[in-house]
Amino acid sequence: MNNDILTEDERDVLQELMNIAYGGATAVIAEMLEAFASLSIPNIQVMSVDELLKTFEALKSTSYFFSTQAFNGEFSGESAFFINEESANNLAKHLELEDRDDLNDAILELTNVLTSSLTTKLAKELETEVGFSLPSISKVPLSEINDVQTFKIYSKVIVIDTELNFQDQQINGKIFILTKDESIQWLKIKLNNILDDLM
Amino acid sequence: MKYLVTDDSKLARRVLMKALLPYTDEQHIYQASNGLEALQQTLKERPDIVFLDLTMPEMDGYTALPKLLKIKPDIKVVVISADVQEQAKEKVLALGAKFHIAKPINSEKLKEILESLQNE
Ligand SMILES: [Mg+2]
Repeated sequence: MNNDILTEDERDVLQELMNIAYGGATAVIAEMLEAFASLSIPNIQVMSVDELLKTFEALKSTSYFFSTQAFNGEFSGESAFFINEESANNLAKHLELEDRDDLNDAILELTNVLTSSLTTKLAKELETEVGFSLPSISKVPLSEINDVQTFKIYSKVIVIDTELNFQDQQINGKIFILTKDESIQWLKIKLNNILDDLM
Repeated sequence: MKYLVTDDSKLARRVLMKALLPYTDEQHIYQASNGLEALQQTLKERPDIVFLDLTMPEMDGYTALPKLLKIKPDIKVVVISADVQEQAKEKVLALGAKFHIAKPINSEKLKEILESLQNE
């Protein structure tokens, strides 16, 4: 894995900032779904889009609900939320949803709340502001994940990967926060400013 | 007291409506799934309090907010959004919202807000 774009120190700082952002997000999700929820400690990697697609392929489920939401500003990119069919069905049961439209709606709102709470908290730590587009959803068979056009605009991406788990509900999802190339340069400067302050 | 719940997510509307039920009958809670519908509902039903999401299709919360106040100047707008940035908060308060609260709303937060709106 090529992690050259961020130095070890830079990645450590970003990891620390993400941990702070995640603290709040867990509580938000638990409240929204009225269930005990946990988010795994985010794993930060820099990879090419090809490598990213391989990561998706390794998710080992036949079909996924997949929703994305773009954020923009000095720090810009996209968050992608994956939830497999089984988990989606458990989510529907837990929330007593009536049909497929309601399930799409619930996944979109989950994506919206997760993306907004994570990126706004991270943006705050980075002393910037971000705006959001509407989230969108699709259901993709894993065999077609390579065709997902939305990722093609990125070359190298910082992937912030975490898992969302509901202990009693067997619902888990994966969140990826993808940052645009120009944001990576901006981010490096910010992270170094923070590092300098720490020294 | 009449309430209007505006959010493009049915789940988000459901969460808020459930929290509102201790304070009113279901028939006094109206729903809208975007800013445009919120304006139409406000013209028709004349709600006292509007809960308003920001990120919505058709017309977002920022655009709808001043229009709601134009239709009904004494309407009380409470913005409920997952965007917790200072900038968003300042913007909606400047546009005339009474509160800006982080999603998702819970019963304690709602209680506080309703009490404070009542004391105005
Ligand atoms: Mg919304």
